[in-house]
Amino acid sequence: MRILLSLLNFTALLVWAAPAVSAINVFACEPEWGALATEIGGNRVSVYTATTALQDPHKIQARPSLIAHARVADLVVCSGAELEVGWMPVVIGQSGNDKIGVGKPGNLEATNYVQLKEVPRLLDRSMGDVHPRGNPHIQWGPQNIQLVADELAKRLGYIDPAGKTYYESRLASFSQRWEQATKHWEQEAASLKGVSVIEHHKELTYLFDWLGMPVVGALEPKPGVEPTSSHLSELVEQQRINPAKLIVITTQKNPEAAEWLSGHIKVKQIALPATVGGTPGAKDLFSMYDDAISRLLAAERS
Amino acid sequence: MLKANVMAGVIALGLVLPAGAPAQDAAQLDEIRKQIQELKDSYNARIEALEKQLKAAEEAAAKAQSAATQAQTAASQAKQSAEAAQAPAAKQPASPSAFNPALSLILMGGYYNSDQDPRTRTVTGFLGSDEYGLPNRGFDLGETEIQISANIDHLFYGQATFSIEDGTISAEEAFFQTTGIGHGLTVKGGRYFSAIGYFNSVHNHAWDFQDPALVQKAFLGDNFGMDGVQVSWIAPLPTVYVEVGGEGGKPVEFPFPDSSYNSNGFQVGTAYAHLGGDIGESSSYRLGVWGLTSQNGVTDQLVPALDFTGFTNTLSGGSDNLWGLDFVYKWAPNGDPSYQNAKVVAEWMHRSLNGTLTYAPGLPQSQVGSLNASQSGWYIQGVYQFHPYWRVGLRYDQLNEGSYGLGPGLVGAPGLAPPDFTPRRWSVMTDWSPSEFSRFRLQFQQDKSQVGLTDNQVFLQYIFSLGTHGAHKF
Repeated sequence: MRILLSLLNFTALLVWAAPAVSAINVFACEPEWGALATEIGGNRVSVYTATTALQDPHKIQARPSLIAHARVADLVVCSGAELEVGWMPVVIGQSGNDKIGVGKPGNLEATNYVQLKEVPRLLDRSMGDVHPRGNPHIQWGPQNIQLVADELAKRLGYIDPAGKTYYESRLASFSQRWEQATKHWEQEAASLKGVSVIEHHKELTYLFDWLGMPVVGALEPKPGVEPTSSHLSELVEQQRINPAKLIVITTQKNPEAAEWLSGHIKVKQIALPATVGGTPGAKDLFSMYDDAISRLLAAERS
Repeated sequence: MLKANVMAGVIALGLVLPAGAPAQDAAQLDEIRKQIQELKDSYNARIEALEKQLKAAEEAAAKAQSAATQAQTAASQAKQSAEAAQAPAAKQPASPSAFNPALSLILMGGYYNSDQDPRTRTVTGFLGSDEYGLPNRGFDLGETEIQISANIDHLFYGQATFSIEDGTISAEEAFFQTTGIGHGLTVKGGRYFSAIGYFNSVHNHAWDFQDPALVQKAFLGDNFGMDGVQVSWIAPLPTVYVEVGGEGGKPVEFPFPDSSYNSNGFQVGTAYAHLGGDIGESSSYRLGVWGLTSQNGVTDQLVPALDFTGFTNTLSGGSDNLWGLDFVYKWAPNGDPSYQNAKVVAEWMHRSLNGTLTYAPGLPQSQVGSLNASQSGWYIQGVYQFHPYWRVGLRYDQLNEGSYGLGPGLVGAPGLAPPDFTPRRWSVMTDWSPSEFSRFRLQFQQDKSQVGLTDNQVFLQYIFSLGTHGAHKF
């Protein structure tokens, strides 16, 4: 009798915990949106993330596995602002899926719902690989995550009306925890205000802006152009006039240039996760921020 | 205030009462004292109650205040997000050219140096001298390409690629494609490069070498294209890529370019299937198999492949049937190709060309009969990127002269037999690409595809693209 009861309990648990019979397939271009989709979608969504934190989204190709996953997607969530312009249009065009085209409910471009920084006044390829609408690496602004979460819950509720209240309750729970976490990070990171940094590419701009850390230089002479020895020498010179206290790159990049500069100007260099999964500690959106801030604080103290 | 009055009353009472009262007065005094105490108690209780009420009212006021502040913050946050949501929308341009299609320009040119005269070079048994298409010696502009594309409406997408070379402009591709069917189906119509093979659908500015593989050139030309319709379907299997498709139409210029093919049906038809996927996080592949059949509706079609016989021969009727296998494998550490990556491509094709051959027409040796020529070829290439800007590549081409099935009318025709020769070619290249939009390439080639000679070739090439960002096809 006991065994039967515990079996029934176990089955009930399985039924409750199992994804809905027809789970909503979410195709996330980058890991931050995959993590957000899991937070908001819970067990009603099945999330596929097209890239990892170690892959530069600018360089991805429209390979067969991406097309196959887009084929069955109900919703694609990408950063947009031309971050995926090299591959997503081909993936969507070849997928034979009419739900995920640009402008359709099944296509969510996160950058459409936030205020972008660094909108270029002059748009020309001589300035490097510049994004016309602004800096697309928005996952490092906590307000941005909240705004995209709001839209994601709305969109999931539109595509899957049966789950609307479920998504709303998950959004409410996420929003509360995110707000508390944001306050906690701001307090924790107060000592980072004013700590000037040199970055590699402009992928951490929103983080530095939020934490009040001035960016005094970049290893790339222009966005998308590999660090050159002449530019690195300029940075060494610049250190006398406008010194940086930290060199901050991501685990996505080759650390050679950062290590060279660090040795020459005697400034500590650290690598943060570019997004969820970039370091062992960055397992989801909350721990991604935790990990980044604790690495910055540890470097700033030492 | 109340306490003072009470006290005053008590004092007044005390003053009014006579001192040293008798025993009866003592009881009265007690009675008065008790009443005063009751008064005191009741007033105290009322004061306490009033104080409590005051405290509660103050607390309520404070709560209301903080609620108001919170509402204010929420309101200002809502205003900020409303502004943020509005801001991108407000930046949309409202001019009539807002819907302009994506436009890009490809500039290509280079320098060619070779031992042998490119104008007379052939591929023995496969390509005549007009067909090999080697560049002119010295500096040459090559081709300029313009590509225009856009969504047409909610159902269709359109794209055209124009090639401008030596004063002529031609449409390499100009097609529409459905976006709204769903269920894995896509239909393409117009002029397009066939989806057979791997490099067949790739434009020359995206090739890994300056020129196409020998077997590609021999059997399909640079890019085999057709005017017609293509239907493809992708299976709803997220873990593996499975695509099947078919095409039908009229070939643009190869293998039988004749536009006087006068029939209501398809002159050429193809069928293809692709299988693809990832292997771990670092590798991905695609495997393809395909077939093509093309009718020759014309009499006296020239057959430059048989120029090695020393005669100009013609083919009437018949068909050209091809089938092939293609394989591409890509690798990058952790799947990030930024600093290092590798790509291997191999293709194998078989051709069966048949029809009524007029051998050495107009000459004493002339014979007419049925021909069924069976030939094949393959190549394998590897490209390795070892630096964000630098790549090296190696390619080997080989063709198989195969066999000629001759009908009774052609038996004994002098020299009509596959050459005892294996066309081969080795290519090595390196290219420098400081961005996705510019590339310089240096290529050395040892070409032994024509019997009796070795042609050492050097290509120097530039490829630039302006305008809209191109697509990273696999």
